[in-house]
Amino acid sequence: MHKQAILREKRTVIIFAILAVLLVVSVLLYIYSRTYAKALRLNIVMDKSAFSSIMGRTIPALIGMGAAAVLIAVVSLAFQTITGSRILTPSMIGFDSVFVGTQTVLVFLFSSMSKAFTNPYLNYLIVAGTMVTVSMMMYGSILRSNKNNLVFLLMFGLILSGIVRSGSTYLQVIMDVNDFNQVRAATSVTVNNMNTKIIFIALPLMVAVISIMLARHKIYDVMSLGPDNAKSLGIPYEKEMKFSLFLISVGMSVATALIGSLAFLGLLAVNIARELLKTYKHVYLFIGSAGLAALALIAGQAVVELLQGAVPVTVIIDLIGCSYMFYLILKENRV
Amino acid sequence: MIEVKNLNQSYTKHGKKKTLENINLTVKEKAITALIGPNGAGKSTLLGVTANLIKPLSGMVMINGIDVRNIKTDELAKKLAILKQTHNINIRITVKDLVEFGRFPHCGGRLTDIDKQKVKESLEYMNLVGMEERYLDELSGGQRQRAFIAMILAQDTPYIFLDEPLNNLDIKSSVEMMKIIKSLVTELDKTIVVVLHDINFASAYADYIVAMKNGRIAGEGSMEEMITKEVLDEVFDHDFNIVTHQGRNVCLYFDRTFNRRKIYEVI
Ligand SMILES: Nc1ncnc2c1ncn2[C@@H]1O[C@H](COP(=O)(O)OP(=O)(O)OP(=O)(O)O)[C@@H](O)[C@H]1O
Ligand SMILES: [Mg+2]
Repeated sequence: MHKQAILREKRTVIIFAILAVLLVVSVLLYIYSRTYAKALRLNIVMDKSAFSSIMGRTIPALIGMGAAAVLIAVVSLAFQTITGSRILTPSMIGFDSVFVGTQTVLVFLFSSMSKAFTNPYLNYLIVAGTMVTVSMMMYGSILRSNKNNLVFLLMFGLILSGIVRSGSTYLQVIMDVNDFNQVRAATSVTVNNMNTKIIFIALPLMVAVISIMLARHKIYDVMSLGPDNAKSLGIPYEKEMKFSLFLISVGMSVATALIGSLAFLGLLAVNIARELLKTYKHVYLFIGSAGLAALALIAGQAVVELLQGAVPVTVIIDLIGCSYMFYLILKENRV
Repeated sequence: MIEVKNLNQSYTKHGKKKTLENINLTVKEKAITALIGPNGAGKSTLLGVTANLIKPLSGMVMINGIDVRNIKTDELAKKLAILKQTHNINIRITVKDLVEFGRFPHCGGRLTDIDKQKVKESLEYMNLVGMEERYLDELSGGQRQRAFIAMILAQDTPYIFLDEPLNNLDIKSSVEMMKIIKSLVTELDKTIVVVLHDINFASAYADYIVAMKNGRIAGEGSMEEMITKEVLDEVFDHDFNIVTHQGRNVCLYFDRTFNRRKIYEVI
């Protein structure tokens, strides 16, 4: 093998090792922040039973955060590959507003007492179904007719989410107070307030989407050469694109329903992974961006807990992500 | 065998302005077919439709008797490789990785020893040894062009379409490229369609010449039939001078007196 290739490989290994160490540290920090740090602050003794009872809540939170972060990173990368853009991520096109909209319409039509709203699984299936359908229709039609027209895609998403959002606000205003409170509670899921009721359907779905995408990393490598090259190398591009969009929609619907909107996490993780790893190979990019996303979310959450911050970690991530996106747009336009 | 039957294509809606009009063509097996014609004649479009990258308006393309649209994309990629006129790749990739992509139709990205051997051969064929680990965006235009052609060679298909492979190549490299293309036919029994703007290369190396103009086939035949003043004047709307050298027709396309007078008039 050539010297450059060996050097590059070494670099990748070192980056992954550092990432792994940081991840472990942040997990430990998160556990510490919720147990001993809290005990110290409240001046109570951390005995075994208290510890294990807190861990009983901390571990699901960790799994939820980790899985959601990995999922968001993986689908964001796949989305960027099939759209041929480094700026777009699926959440920028208003997934959260479709989520809020569907819940609102459900309650408005059938009231907050109905099975469609109270049964977490049924509710999730309806919401996810709507999100998948809407996004497939949207991406499908735009990507097919206007190849790579990112501005159009962004505008369309902006308008759609604007309409859905104001529509749901309107419905929430005219519905009765109890229904309103229920909708609010159901749609204000965040990292601190995960919708753990759906974990048993969410987790397998997340694992499935992540593993299918990872298993197809070679196909994404070829697709990153562009539609024509991919087709001449034997990739049925339209079919692959539709299938990927389906997976992305499913993934985003799970993530949004489980821990709410994390609009900029994917963008941040994927782009930093690209910068660090300097490769087009999706195996590395998938792993790198997944690790970075999990790190950002868990470490951020640990720091927030340690500092007893009133600001949830998502706000911080969105703030950084948003500035980063500005930077990306300015950088791309400079040339 | 590749047969094009009554092919029509249009980029405009409802097929108002036709890019290809009633094309009928049978590609000569195990030979070099040169596709010539002025800019915008529809050469690239014809290759694109034939390789199933562009949808036709009507008509069809048959490969070994099967409509290309009914051949699975991954099967087609083992039969036909196409070098596009422009390659806009927006990823940063090394020469070796690019050439390895050529093996994707055969191995799905998991390279066996045979695949690695083919990649090595293609790199050697295209004179790229020593440049394997260079990034494409750090190469000269001609080196990049050779890297893309190496990828096509690695794909190892019986049919190869090359859209202006001499783009960016200097004279020596162009001659070498044409020799390589020739050897692909004589040594490896490939069937090649190549778009050439330099008619003299078509004259010197092609077994068969197809001329296009305004989306139609303006003529086809052997070198002797096609490289004549009558045919070329008509196809290119230009005043050609044809001389014969070592039994081959050679075109002189420049006309100095004409140009001088023209410039003088402008001044
Ligand atoms: N993607 C496209 N959309 C719309 N029109 C196109 C497209 N590609 C080509 N055309 C038009 O179709 C006609 C044929 O183009 P084509 O690229 O096939 O010509 P060509 O013979 O390959 O020319 P050149 O020698 O310049 O490469 C031209 O008039 C061109 O403007
Ligand atoms: Mg062309």
